[in-house]
Amino acid sequence: MTMEINIHSINIILLLGVVLFGGTLTGRLFQKWKIPQVVGYIGLGVILGQTGLNIINSEIIGNLRPFSTFALGLIGFMIGGELKIQTIRKFGKQFISILLFESLSAFFVVFILITATAYFFFKDMRIAISLGLLMGAISSATAPAATTDVLWENKTRGPLTTMILGIVAMDDAVSLLLFAVATSVAGILSGQDGGSLLASLGGLAWEIGLSVALGVGLGFLLYIIIRGFVDEDKILAFSIGAILLLIGLAQSLAVDVILATMAMGFFISNFAPRRSKETFHLVEKFTPPVYVLFFVMVGATLNVKGLTVVTVTMAGIYLVGRMGGKTVGSILGSLMSKAPKTVRKYLPLCLFSQAGVAIGLSIVAGQTFPGVIGDTIVLVVTATTFVVQIIGPASVKFAVSKAGEVGLNITEQDLIRQSKGSDLADRDIPVIREGDNLRSILNIFAQRDNLYYPVADKENRLMGILSIEKLKDTFIASDLSDYLLAHDIMDKVTYTSHMDTEAADIYSIFQKSHVASIPVVDKGGKVEGMIEYRRMQQHLSRRLSELKEKARRMEEE
Amino acid sequence: MKLEDWIKKDQCMLLKSSTKTEAILEMLDIVAATGSISDMENLKKEIFYREQIMSTGLGQGLAVPHVRFEGTAEPIVLIGTRKESITDYESLDDAPVMIVVMIIVGPEQHREYLRILSLVAHKLKNKAFQEELLNCETGEQIARLMAGE
Repeated sequence: MTMEINIHSINIILLLGVVLFGGTLTGRLFQKWKIPQVVGYIGLGVILGQTGLNIINSEIIGNLRPFSTFALGLIGFMIGGELKIQTIRKFGKQFISILLFESLSAFFVVFILITATAYFFFKDMRIAISLGLLMGAISSATAPAATTDVLWENKTRGPLTTMILGIVAMDDAVSLLLFAVATSVAGILSGQDGGSLLASLGGLAWEIGLSVALGVGLGFLLYIIIRGFVDEDKILAFSIGAILLLIGLAQSLAVDVILATMAMGFFISNFAPRRSKETFHLVEKFTPPVYVLFFVMVGATLNVKGLTVVTVTMAGIYLVGRMGGKTVGSILGSLMSKAPKTVRKYLPLCLFSQAGVAIGLSIVAGQTFPGVIGDTIVLVVTATTFVVQIIGPASVKFAVSKAGEVGLNITEQDLIRQSKGSDLADRDIPVIREGDNLRSILNIFAQRDNLYYPVADKENRLMGILSIEKLKDTFIASDLSDYLLAHDIMDKVTYTSHMDTEAADIYSIFQKSHVASIPVVDKGGKVEGMIEYRRMQQHLSRRLSELKEKARRMEEE
Repeated sequence: MKLEDWIKKDQCMLLKSSTKTEAILEMLDIVAATGSISDMENLKKEIFYREQIMSTGLGQGLAVPHVRFEGTAEPIVLIGTRKESITDYESLDDAPVMIVVMIIVGPEQHREYLRILSLVAHKLKNKAFQEELLNCETGEQIARLMAGE
């Protein structure tokens, strides 16, 4: 009996396994090559998807759409959580000025260039203007997903990061608004029903209002529920549950998913800040597989078969117009609002990404304007998404690195993960000899503020630890101070570490065993330093506040 | 806590040995006989390792070999006297040793340990008391004297 494997009827679980496994591996590989991992995910999607092997065909994409929507919801929730009222208050003027300039200038530049090109190809002013308006509107959106993924991957913090988050969160709204206007105008011009302007604007206002209301409402509910829980597992389950509930509601009411979940994230992090930190932390831990799947699906969805000279030319012009418009617009906006230098210099590089909203709008345009307008828009947006999803994340990474914001937003855990014994060890700690008497030991304790010292033999091999508690006890026998030796009062060593021991391992020893200090020895057991839990904590929090301070200073430049 | 609490008559003795090593081994034999320490080999090593770092001869004829040793449930105190003295103890004042007090405590009995050490040093550095102690003819007499009876 032979068994045939038909890759087109591959089961969904197997496919999910392949996607997550392969996606993570590719992402890791790209990380090694210093390319954002998200490019790897999308690349894998392109290979497996409709442009490439067609293993992930349109049917599977349809089946897996709920996952993508879920991912978008999570992304919205996380972005909303990063937007703090204080930040908006502080940067509100810069936000609005840059947002309007970058999105409107992309709109106008693309509108003019595409109208001219389309007229050149189609010799029909009405089609040309319709295409120009619709594509201009689509071009103003910036995809939050791929952009923020790069920010999170690189743990960035600073004015540029704040600005990117604010812009990508809000320019979809601008884009939707412009699109509503463009659809109506194009409808009138092309004689097809694009809906009346007033109706589409009203619909838009309703959509935005309802999604925000839903998000805030469920956010409040989630807050009420998790207030009473201490158990992390339950908080995670309830949070994910609330997000799913919200996404589902938003979908059935046909309102914007990202906007709704963003409103929820924003509400929780601003109005219930005490519990929100751990909630976001938990949800964040849950997100990686969902994101991998999402971006692979983004890649798989891109279908660039059927491109013609006309569409390729238009795509090229659209790309140039969009990038140019966003660049000029964000520079102008930064200058007008006196934004920090790093924002002015590097923000233009961070707004190239386009994905969900753009593709979604192109599909809407395709359905509203069947024929040359619709087809051209779908193909051009797909092709350009393909290009910007490859170069967008890379240029965001370049920008945040150049702006010096990489690695400033790390938690204590990240810091521990990045450190080794050598980063935590106190190398200058005086080593007490076994034969040192109480008098000379007291001298050492008097000169330093360490509470624990390594005790070594003549060959500098670690023999024990001398603690301040044990030293205190010797006051009972203070008349023996010439005679009591370090050997008599030291404690046995239970744990040692090396300079190259991972800090995470050292940290877990501290957590589990409740020892207060761990000596650092070389391979031969000779003393090289000492790690005190108290000092390790001090070191970590000092380092964290240094990074925070660095980010804060950049805001003032 | 009083020193008497730890003094037992079968752990007090007149030492037969005339050298430091033999005297310590003689006292360790008594410890072994009580059966309270199971790992005698390592106890021996620890005691002599401590002597190697620095002699436990306090001076004025008194020596206090001591160790904190894993598996010691209660502090063990042994007292041995030798009128003829042990000359190779390498005390701080180079004087020959006539009274040896061995102290063995568990690793966690740090305070008891220091307390016993301090009490022994205080009590036995008294010349008149030393004379009395050296005049005792049996372990029982030593124990009684130490207990202040």
